[in-house]
Amino acid sequence: MIHNFNYHRATTVQESLSLLEKFKEDYKIICGGQSLLILMRQGLVAPENLVDIKSVKEMSYIDYDPKKGLKIGAATTHREIEKSPEIKKNYPVLVEMEENLASVQTRNWGTIGGNLAHGDPASDPAPILIAMTATVKLANTNGERSLLLEDFFVDIFETALEEGELLIEIQVPVPLKKSAVAYEKFNIIKNHQGIVSVAASITMAEDGIGCKDARIVLGAAAATPLRAGEAEQMLIGKKIDTKLLASVGKKASEECDPVSDIHATETYRRALVKALTIKIMKKAWEQAKTSGRVGGKHT
Amino acid sequence: MKKKLVHLTVNEEYHELYISPRKLLVEILRDELDLTGTKRGCSTGSCGACTILLDGAAVKSCSVLAVQVDGAKVTTVEGLADGAGLTPLQLSFLDHGAFQCGFCTSGMLMSATAFLNEDPVSEDIKKGIQGNICRCTGYNSILRAIRAVAEGKYEDEGR
Amino acid sequence: MKKHTYTVINTPIHNIDGIAKITGRAEYTFDITLPRMLHGKILRSPYPHGEIIHIDTSKAERLKGVKAVLTGKDTLGRKQGIWRRFKELCDEEILARDKVRYIGEPVATVAAVDEDTAEEALDLIEVEYNALPGAFEPLEAIKEGAPQLHEHAERNINVTRHIEWGDVDEGFKKADYVREDWFRCSSQAHVCMETHCAVADYTPEGKLTVYTSTQSHYYIKVLLAEILGLRENDVRVISRYTGGGFGSKFELDSAQFCCSILSMKLCQPVKIVLTREEEFSATKRRTPMFYYIRSGVKKDGAFLAKEARVFTEGGAYTAMGATALYLTGFFQSFPYVWPSYRYDGYRVYTNTAPTSAMRGFGAPQATFCAETQIDLIADELGIDPIDIRRKNAMYPGYEVPGQATIQSCGLGQCLDKIDDWIKSRGKLPPNRGIGVSAYGFMSGGIFNWFDTPYAFSSAVLQINIDGKVDLFVGSQDMGQGSNTTMAMICAEELGVKVEDIRLHMGDTETCPVDLGAWGSRETLMQGNAVKMAASKAKQQILEFATAKLAPNIVYDLDIKDGWIHLIARPERGLSFYDVVKEAIRGKDGQPIIARGHYTPHRKGMISPAYSFGVQAIEADVNPDTGKITLKNCVTAHDCGQVINPLGVEGQLEGAIAMAAGYGFTEDLPMDEGKILNPNLVDYMLLRATEMPETKVMEVETYEPEGPFGAKEAGEGLTNPTAGALGNAVFHATGISIKNLPITPEKVLNALKEKKNK
Repeated sequence: MIHNFNYHRATTVQESLSLLEKFKEDYKIICGGQSLLILMRQGLVAPENLVDIKSVKEMSYIDYDPKKGLKIGAATTHREIEKSPEIKKNYPVLVEMEENLASVQTRNWGTIGGNLAHGDPASDPAPILIAMTATVKLANTNGERSLLLEDFFVDIFETALEEGELLIEIQVPVPLKKSAVAYEKFNIIKNHQGIVSVAASITMAEDGIGCKDARIVLGAAAATPLRAGEAEQMLIGKKIDTKLLASVGKKASEECDPVSDIHATETYRRALVKALTIKIMKKAWEQAKTSGRVGGKHT
Repeated sequence: MKKKLVHLTVNEEYHELYISPRKLLVEILRDELDLTGTKRGCSTGSCGACTILLDGAAVKSCSVLAVQVDGAKVTTVEGLADGAGLTPLQLSFLDHGAFQCGFCTSGMLMSATAFLNEDPVSEDIKKGIQGNICRCTGYNSILRAIRAVAEGKYEDEGR
Repeated sequence: MKKHTYTVINTPIHNIDGIAKITGRAEYTFDITLPRMLHGKILRSPYPHGEIIHIDTSKAERLKGVKAVLTGKDTLGRKQGIWRRFKELCDEEILARDKVRYIGEPVATVAAVDEDTAEEALDLIEVEYNALPGAFEPLEAIKEGAPQLHEHAERNINVTRHIEWGDVDEGFKKADYVREDWFRCSSQAHVCMETHCAVADYTPEGKLTVYTSTQSHYYIKVLLAEILGLRENDVRVISRYTGGGFGSKFELDSAQFCCSILSMKLCQPVKIVLTREEEFSATKRRTPMFYYIRSGVKKDGAFLAKEARVFTEGGAYTAMGATALYLTGFFQSFPYVWPSYRYDGYRVYTNTAPTSAMRGFGAPQATFCAETQIDLIADELGIDPIDIRRKNAMYPGYEVPGQATIQSCGLGQCLDKIDDWIKSRGKLPPNRGIGVSAYGFMSGGIFNWFDTPYAFSSAVLQINIDGKVDLFVGSQDMGQGSNTTMAMICAEELGVKVEDIRLHMGDTETCPVDLGAWGSRETLMQGNAVKMAASKAKQQILEFATAKLAPNIVYDLDIKDGWIHLIARPERGLSFYDVVKEAIRGKDGQPIIARGHYTPHRKGMISPAYSFGVQAIEADVNPDTGKITLKNCVTAHDCGQVINPLGVEGQLEGAIAMAAGYGFTEDLPMDEGKILNPNLVDYMLLRATEMPETKVMEVETYEPEGPFGAKEAGEGLTNPTAGALGNAVFHATGISIKNLPITPEKVLNALKEKKNK
């Protein structure tokens, strides 16, 4: 049963921020509400004030600039991202991720900002955006600040958003040459939340042989989306081969900190991290060698 | 809790409703407008039985607060066809036996309608109804029914 | 086999409820609103085992909008159960008075002006419990000294079953190869899309009307009358559309009972709809089973002796579990000729939600274990999986000693068709395998533990002046399409069109008794009753037509497609519609009425007829993650004469989805009696994206006991899939998982273990 609340609809960012400022003590922000409403129906979340930002048009946009990169308004729906020709062309792996996120119905109404602000360690877009070095823009009535997305996630269902603060934009840099991002979510029922997920980016050195930079980001493998830093380090400056990837996968599985639940034990999650990391790194590596774009060829 | 005035156009009929903000869209459709063709099968946004078209897009009406959609255009299963008519998709569902108990059928039809209105690519049909659970049919008859329409087999049909 | 020509049977007919369902006009119980209707909710035990010390409802009663709060003390305190012939098996009060035995057991119920108020009131009811230690696993609960649930059941043994034929010990002595295995079969939730729900309307005249989502309005009527102290026919149960059943909706449930007592107290309609969470955690479910099987065979694969022991997790009450215990034992030997067989089954009470009937009724568990073991035996002996099954397959005329006589049986042809399909697949890529499983199932149960004095199925038919036929059936359409099947059988027998039939069902006040839609009964049993009624009506019409046509006495008349004619000279005839008009005039204006009924007599212990089939599943196993991907599911199926091909196809495909779920994704894990995944996020149902390509090959036989030769066509298909899936994994990887469901984690662990060996 949904408990009583006071409903406030904002139509501009400014109006949203004023409302947040006003209800500092007790509010929840709703946009698509695809996660929030479930919690509210279970009575787990019962805010005094519900601030609705779904109608804030100025927060719903997809901007791509070949020099500055990609900007996505936080109130942009998953479906808009999935269907964006710009994103499909320049960041195809984002489209791939979206296509496997929940259901069409959820993507039609749910938003990218809502997903990230929910702080779920099993978030679909988080690992891949972190792998792409995405930043988020947060605002309150006093101004704006930018944060690397990897620093946005603090703990399970907890983010860096402070009281009165709103996530307004997600920024993804221009893909580097000789780089690629790949992603896979493991689940039993397609489009269900991942039991674990792995996103990886690789940037090859000028010579096309050595690895210049690498990012490995794990979903549902710790309290937050997690960068497997030690595993990444094993790659940098090295020539990649399958043997190295095997030890990188092993390292990632040691670095993560997954839970045991009804869907998988901790041991199994670690095994999955290992298997997926090897597979995804290999995919990213192969694409990076041949492509100048993030995600390489859309597979 | 203060009631809010909400304007909704449901199946091309305009309504002004005073509703409690905590009411879900599905509750307004079923309890206030008597459109009981839209079902509810869970409380976690998982089953898709409550799928409707919101400004043309398939959305789960149990996962949306009615106040949030002020001014929107809603289509429910009752609004698919006029009077005694049936849409090509509905006819195809009959021909392919694409339902059994029928409880998921309204939601399934709405998802399929949205899919067909968008960019019907045969191999994507599964994705188009991925958000809808059917416990009776095993889905394949539903996929056949949608495919037949997508392939234009019902172009001259509909009554 | 005699070839029959039909005008209606075996043509794909649109479901007669179809237009109502695809336009959203079909009114389910879930959709019903009556004037002055209140909404009810049920307070449930948070403890798996405990004594109720005290319930204080005063705060809840004072909440604005609350109309009544009732507890077990407000009931007659009668224990009920569906096994009415055995008093000790009627062990469930529904609203517990003194003791709770599972998490979710109802302890109080509230009626209020709306659902939210009723829910709020639940929080205000104070229940003081004395928590008791619980017994959760059957193998633990059966031990000496385990916490005991019911006074009458020592060591928590609820029911035992023994089946035996032949000399088992002698058989094992002669065997060249003996193999024993332990299996664990998991639970499964029915997950009807319409949760259990009911609207009760009691009026001061002393009449109770209950609208409900059920598989048997007759059972609900009788059980309600008994527990409420009403006369059987002062209770009317109405169930026009039922949003899925699968075995979960033919026992009296908490929604039906609680809204009835609330309505009787208030003389106002009360509606209760269970939430999805209640549905998962506090309604009945598939019986988990621990199976021990020992089989002895000859070197050439000939079966000699089989011994099976099963311990089933009963949950807190008997429910339909006693039937599942018998059927799993019987179907453990199916569909093979075992010269000797011994089965001992123990149903054990546990402090968990009661287990009961679910599509397949004990047979899917038995078939999974048996078929897994058969592949292990074949592998050990170097025999092809199809060959070992063919060698031991049941055949027409085979008698299961003391149990059953098999009349029609197309198992041999099914094996041939599957064999051909497998061969057509050629060499498979690595990590891919094809597994097969053979199966059989009953076409309606013969047992009468309910103790009905009525025929098992009845039908009444009335032909009106315009030739429109009112057909009254007791059968319940829960989606399986029995309404269409009955209309087709009636139309065929009477010689009219399906459009000429107006079917009446789902109302105990107007419809004759049928035991309901469970155990694959309707096509054969209700079908026979309909056919008899139609045949009797037809006889009456033919008498008038004969007088009119005055043929030579040696000629026979028949009706096809509305044309009454001489069989030998079809052109000589009369319109059915014209004859009906005159016949009614001739009967002093009375419409033509006929009755039909069916009760199996001298048909063995289980069922009058059995369906058979073989299923093959092709699946990939990912060696790194253990994930299974279904590729193909091909089934050769003998359901006798197909009545409606559209219906049969749907039943088969639907069964595959449900049974594959049982095989590898669905489970109800628990912690001390608490179900951990009571929602559709964590309980994993297959979706369209998980469905393999399905192909069905019909093997037509003619079942002498069935209407037009038909038999069961939907439930039995739940039996083979888990076994076929397990065998596919076995042939892909060499590992055999004996513990359902076959999750990727189990597969990966087994692969690791195999590698380490």
